[in-house]
Amino acid sequence: MKPTTPSSLTAAPEMIVVRYGELGLKGKNRRQFEDVLVRNIKAAAHRFTGVKVHRKRGRLFVMAEDRLLDLARRLQDVPGIKSVSPAWGARNTIESIGEVAEQVVHDALQSLPAGEERTFRVRTTRAHKGFPLRSIDVDRAIADRVLPDTTGLRVAMRDADLELGIDIRRSRTYLFLQRMPGPGGLPVGTLGRVMCLLSGGIDSPVAAYMAMKRGARVYYVTFHSYPYIGEASKKKVVDLVRHLARFQPSSRLYVIPFTEIQTAIRDNAPEAYRTVLYRRFMQRIATRLGKRNKCKALLTGECLAQVASQTIENITCIEAAADLPVLRPLITFDKEETILVARRIGTMDISSQPEPDCCTVFMPDKPIIHGHVADCETAEEALDCAGLVQRALEGFERYDIESDV
Amino acid sequence: MDPIYLDHAATTPLADEVREAMLPYLGAAWGNPSSVHRRGIAAREAVDRARAQVARAVGAEPRNVIFTSGGTEANNLALFGLMRGPRPRGGGLWVGPTEHASVRAAADALEQEGFDVERGELRPSGEVDLDALDAALTPDTRLVAQMLVSNEFGSIYPTSCIAALLKARDSGAHLHVDAIQALGKLPLSLEELGADSVALSAHKVNGPQGVGALVCARELPLHPLLHGGGQEGGRRSGTENVAGIVGFGVAAERADRAQAATLRHLGALRAQLLSGLEGLQAVDCLAPGDHEQQQPGILSLRVAGAPAEVWLHHLDASGVVCSVGSACQANKKEISPVLLAAGLSPEEARQVLRLSLGGDNTLEEIERACVAIHDVSRELARL
Repeated sequence: MKPTTPSSLTAAPEMIVVRYGELGLKGKNRRQFEDVLVRNIKAAAHRFTGVKVHRKRGRLFVMAEDRLLDLARRLQDVPGIKSVSPAWGARNTIESIGEVAEQVVHDALQSLPAGEERTFRVRTTRAHKGFPLRSIDVDRAIADRVLPDTTGLRVAMRDADLELGIDIRRSRTYLFLQRMPGPGGLPVGTLGRVMCLLSGGIDSPVAAYMAMKRGARVYYVTFHSYPYIGEASKKKVVDLVRHLARFQPSSRLYVIPFTEIQTAIRDNAPEAYRTVLYRRFMQRIATRLGKRNKCKALLTGECLAQVASQTIENITCIEAAADLPVLRPLITFDKEETILVARRIGTMDISSQPEPDCCTVFMPDKPIIHGHVADCETAEEALDCAGLVQRALEGFERYDIESDV
Repeated sequence: MDPIYLDHAATTPLADEVREAMLPYLGAAWGNPSSVHRRGIAAREAVDRARAQVARAVGAEPRNVIFTSGGTEANNLALFGLMRGPRPRGGGLWVGPTEHASVRAAADALEQEGFDVERGELRPSGEVDLDALDAALTPDTRLVAQMLVSNEFGSIYPTSCIAALLKARDSGAHLHVDAIQALGKLPLSLEELGADSVALSAHKVNGPQGVGALVCARELPLHPLLHGGGQEGGRRSGTENVAGIVGFGVAAERADRAQAATLRHLGALRAQLLSGLEGLQAVDCLAPGDHEQQQPGILSLRVAGAPAEVWLHHLDASGVVCSVGSACQANKKEISPVLLAAGLSPEEARQVLRLSLGGDNTLEEIERACVAIHDVSRELARL
């Protein structure tokens, strides 16, 4: 029996091709977008050695000393990136290019399930016009070299399973095959800052991710009712922020003591309004922290009718206490849709740990479903709102959290 | 003020004496006990010294001490090691009603592999139902696992009666005893327990975490869990945790030396605690079984007004550290099956707070803890 050849490439990839860009981004916007993206890539790659980023006509080339496949996976988490491809280098001769092409295609086929026929095409671009062959001639030459030696492969000019990219540059040629998808969207920092009200649940981390993907830098605030809720609940929120920090370069979390406010509401306000009133206080505190951190909006994981406090009336009551616009990216999501994203971005495992959050404290038996702003305001007359907010803000803990990847 | 630590059944602080003994092996005295150069031999010497110390604490031969990564591995090694083998032998095992998860889950896994598993029951009085065990015994029963001290109630179970029963029935079954919560609190002798093996853990007796032992009464045909270089007489491969083992040796010796005094001290602390809580309606001491048959360091309390976990956080905030159920379970928010086995409803089981006292606690601390419990009880009565 013929011994099988080892599947690993003899050569490691030399760099990573990064594709980005939303349609319609032009001129000055595009420059700014690229500047921010390059900065974010460098921040995301800070644990790798010798990282360099080059800009080339609508693409970025990222180099590092080693572990390029790991780096490519890391870059899949950087918003603004559409896709990444590890690229192999060849000398600027058709022989060298052919040799590497063969190796790259063989390896890719080995990592796919055997037995099925795959379609294949070559797509060459020549930044270096001095190369003796035209792009289309390179395509043919390389296809002619790769196809005869490879079983289960045929050419298709559309939607090929394997598309071998060949990028001929002045000093070297790069070949790449895989397109590993990134989050897409816009680089974090191109939109401005938002203050996210984060619980330990499934929704708010997803909301934070969606906002980051639209270019917002997300700050976080969470509310902690120790000792009705244990330290483990706080750790869970810290863990969520640390996980989400892989999508933006470092994150700030405020933990606000909430026991005094909840106790005051329990003792002085109508039971049915407790949850709505908790949330009004959260909005006030988040607004203050948001303004302190130059945030332009609040961000929540609220979703219509998901729980009693999330009727339009109650959302109106809650929003009335905020003095910044409130962004609610999940407002019309079904739970399944949210869970799908939570799984994809990796927050689901953390969110599903069974730790309670402060909304469960002194939960009313019959919460109000269709609240009125006027009733909230009347109820709050019995409370020292300014003092409660002030003391909660003074008791803050601040965490500046880096990603651990 | 320093928090009052009443969670000794979860883990205990490392004793200074133990730390001092370990330090050389985390420093200049490093070495692989399997190496044949002098550095290696010195490390082997240290491991063997510890082996003798642990053996003496339970009246065993040093060669029958198998060091493990902790109590869980010791219990797993006993169950899997005795039931499995190179040739399938089949047969059954019986596990006690209040066993630690490391015994219960190992038995569940063996059941999946096709072994017959019988699970013991508690009588309403809180004792292990020996008649039920008697009825469950068959000629195929190869292993009986019964813990000595419950990590949740502190109840002491009569393993010697089980040994006698096995003998009377002419059963060849091996008796494995999880003695993890007994070391340093009760006099331990394999002979008196009637045990063929005991599981021990270092960090429950002011030793380091990550080390324990399975100690056998004689050389046993144990099938190893870990295969490799043949350390621990081929029964547990892997380079020894030298510093941890040295610490365990000293901790075991220290715990054994102080055992009688510790038991008296814990008895006094318990009496103080119970009298301090007397008359407190929201707190009720759960002690299934005979009060004489109690490791005095472990108390389960039934609390009212709020779930035990809310009590725990309030007590923590007022400087009293304790746990709900056992720490390993507390993480998972599942109801302790042991509490259910003791006849509690799921609702009642969520109301159980465990206080576990240690030799380092003082009467003054217990007095302060009682004050804190009274305060929390008042606070939570308003919920």
